[in-house]
Amino acid sequence: MRNEQAADLLFAQSRPGCRAVRMPECDVPAEAVESLLPRSALADRPPDLPELTEPDVVRHFVNLSTQNMSVDGNFYPLGSCTMKYNPKRNEALASLEGLAGLHPYQRSETIQGMLALLHSLQEMLGEIAGLDAVSLQPAAGAHGEMTALFVAAAFLRDTGQNRDVVLIPDGAHGTNPASAAMAGFRTLEVKSTAAGLVDLGDLAAKLDERTAVFMITNPNTLGLFDRQIGEIAEMVHASGGLVYLDGANMNAILGIARPGDFGADMMHFNPHKTFSGPHGGGGPGAGPIAVAGKLAPYLPAPLVAKRGDHYTLDFDRPKSIGRVRSFFGNTGVLVRTYCYLRTHGPEGLRRVAENAVLNANYLLSRVKDCLPVPHGDRCMHEFVASAQKLKAERGVTAMDVAKRLLDYGFHAPTVYFPLIVREALMIEPTETEGKATLDSFAEALQRIVAEDAGLLHDAPHTTAVCRPDEVRAARQSILKWTAPSM
Amino acid sequence: MPYIPNTDDDRRAMLEAIGAESIDELFEMVPREFRLDRLLDLPAALGELELQDHIRQLADRNTAASAATCFLGGGSYDHFIPSIVDFVAARSEFYTSYTPYQAEASQGTLTALFEYQTMITRLTGMDVSNASLYDGAGAAAEAVLMAIGATGRSKRVVTAASVHPEYRQVLATYLANLDTQMHIVGTPGGALAPEELDAAVDEQTACVLVQHPNFFGCLEEVEALAAAAHAKGALLIVAFDPLSLGVLKRPGDYGADIAVAEGQALGCPLSYGGPYLGILACREKFVRRMPGRLAGQTVDRRGRRCWVLTLQTREQHIRREKATSNICTNQGLMALRATVYLAAMGPHGLRSAAELCLKKARYAADRWTAGGLLEAAFPAPTFKEFVLRAPRGSVDELLDAAAGERIMAGSPLECWYPELADCVLVAVTEKRTKAEIDRMAELIRSVLG
Repeated sequence: MRNEQAADLLFAQSRPGCRAVRMPECDVPAEAVESLLPRSALADRPPDLPELTEPDVVRHFVNLSTQNMSVDGNFYPLGSCTMKYNPKRNEALASLEGLAGLHPYQRSETIQGMLALLHSLQEMLGEIAGLDAVSLQPAAGAHGEMTALFVAAAFLRDTGQNRDVVLIPDGAHGTNPASAAMAGFRTLEVKSTAAGLVDLGDLAAKLDERTAVFMITNPNTLGLFDRQIGEIAEMVHASGGLVYLDGANMNAILGIARPGDFGADMMHFNPHKTFSGPHGGGGPGAGPIAVAGKLAPYLPAPLVAKRGDHYTLDFDRPKSIGRVRSFFGNTGVLVRTYCYLRTHGPEGLRRVAENAVLNANYLLSRVKDCLPVPHGDRCMHEFVASAQKLKAERGVTAMDVAKRLLDYGFHAPTVYFPLIVREALMIEPTETEGKATLDSFAEALQRIVAEDAGLLHDAPHTTAVCRPDEVRAARQSILKWTAPSM
Repeated sequence: MPYIPNTDDDRRAMLEAIGAESIDELFEMVPREFRLDRLLDLPAALGELELQDHIRQLADRNTAASAATCFLGGGSYDHFIPSIVDFVAARSEFYTSYTPYQAEASQGTLTALFEYQTMITRLTGMDVSNASLYDGAGAAAEAVLMAIGATGRSKRVVTAASVHPEYRQVLATYLANLDTQMHIVGTPGGALAPEELDAAVDEQTACVLVQHPNFFGCLEEVEALAAAAHAKGALLIVAFDPLSLGVLKRPGDYGADIAVAEGQALGCPLSYGGPYLGILACREKFVRRMPGRLAGQTVDRRGRRCWVLTLQTREQHIRREKATSNICTNQGLMALRATVYLAAMGPHGLRSAAELCLKKARYAADRWTAGGLLEAAFPAPTFKEFVLRAPRGSVDELLDAAAGERIMAGSPLECWYPELADCVLVAVTEKRTKAEIDRMAELIRSVLG
């Protein structure tokens, strides 16, 4: 069902005289704007925005929304992104006026409930991490990585260590090296073994007195828990470096294993993934970080502190790196995180990890016969299948399979990541899907790999558009609407 | 468990298909020595009814701005939000989807982002906007990094004391590990003197970051500041208030090279500081140095107009350590809110809201300083915020008394500006009424008179 009424952009729908909002009359005596401000500062006309009525705007956006797949409507096994169900109670509760209606500069006696919640969240995340101190300030996972690396840099500077290299496995998220670069570090890549784990020989060769931090994603982007983690942490620590855990895949080990216990000195969480988000079409997320005690003095300010029965913002942190964000952070996301953790409790969180891992292994067992999974028959919360054989034999790529899945009503897996697997399809079912959904997804995949190659090259067939020309988008670089010339 | 659909029977069948004895066996990759042999020490699980009670109790221990009279500002404002903003943002299809990597499954989000980019370029008079960043402070810091890259000048950036102190703190944190010195020009008069800026900018300076209207609410002499920056080959970065563009000239019209903003005013709730919206727009020639997502128009195989994420070679998932930034997400849902807000307000709604802010703020400033008990701290013209100076040592008394009357009267400036210890920053939005402003005037008279 294609609704052509939605096809026009808002700007093309603009008609002079249309209004969706009527602001009240000014109730104070006032002179004209021109006499209140210098003429040179004033715009000579109202902002160049479309003129629309309220029904125009609502119909436009409701119709746009129908062109999205979403977790509420579709199985969304986008690997590495943990697209789990977003509980409605969290949405409702985070919107309570007593939480969503607080100004960031209110006096602390008017926000005791909020500070109590945030303080408790700091403690819960510290316990889940097995680390000593938590900052809720970073606004996203990548922002948390960067913040933790700022913390590491401040610690190294303060303790007189001249270490400027960050080591990163070749399977890591691109944010890892980019965050390291923003914190002023040089990066070196550490190879993976054929089994998909850190190559200890290569790590040993690259560790030296310049090593500041080793960043590891564990479970890694292949969905494998690197069982060498104890040895890795020992090696990094022996060379004087710090271990950073990219917490993107925490959904696999909640309540099963704690990063602090397996050697991490610092980590970030992705609440929009692990703690049920939502993802918001690409944000907002949040990126709280947890660190070992020796790094705690360098965390951003403020932290929430408890003094007797009173909660305050603690700005008195002389060694702090400062701020990475204005105000407190992405508080609305953190309130949802708190709701999620309180809903689950300790047993529930463990069950989340168990079922996420069970679902991934089950789906792996059903998928591997039609799409090989190069890194073994067992996984944690996700696995990476490869369409390499399919491509060699029939010219069908990972992208073809991904696009065809859309026709079956499934969002595509993450494709072509991690970079160390050719024709990668990274599949993460999460715990909030049931066996029946996993079965129908596996059956769809089995059907797809047997379908005519031409049909797959031309997929998807049922969506409003098919295979946008990305090269043309980059070359033309049309980044805003312009009125058609007469 | 509320969100786990599998039953025990399902689990048994699944384990059998996997060929595993137990779920525990699936965790065999995690060495025993690192397995937690206890439950996490967390509060026990709550059912929805109990959770609702618990969260409502926490919420009741707070005073919402709407349950008081809010004159707080400083980058976060109690502005009007049309109902349709919440309605659209609550659509599952928008808020439970993710970054639109699969364009065919994400045309809704991509189209909205393209419209957002268009709205922002029109609002600012800049050539291009990205699809949003985390917040205003982060956008300012990213803009400075862009300017360093674009000018090849990595030694020095210049900003002003009249720029939001938290923006300057974030920038300082971002620059701490790079070899860049941040020079802050003082603004004892409340706004930046162009000749002082001129003296501070040299041929090594990458950019000048100013805020207009500035943190004190004062207008800066932006055209003269642009000239001073450009004369030395430095870029001008302006942090603007999006609402102010209902009446003020656009950054693109007075020479800004990069315009950034906290977009909270565009339909985002106060939400104790976030999630908000970082706006970043720039001139065409800097587009490949932009951080963050960009939606671009193209056609599909059948020639149909559509949108994709584009110019991704700037980004971390392709370029890794050579990327323009580490930013991976945008604030998609907040950008959507801003788009719906601007669509609903339109040119005339935004202009009216801005005029109301200006007029009410001016009325409040006049009313509150009329008896001579308080004075305006700075002479420069202001938009919706201004700084009041109270008699020595009376700021706390005044704010306490106001709090007792459920008036959030303003932010004391001492924590950021020791020299302004007797000063309070006040914001007056279109939501404030004459009665509220008059009530505050009464309170000033009774406390200080």
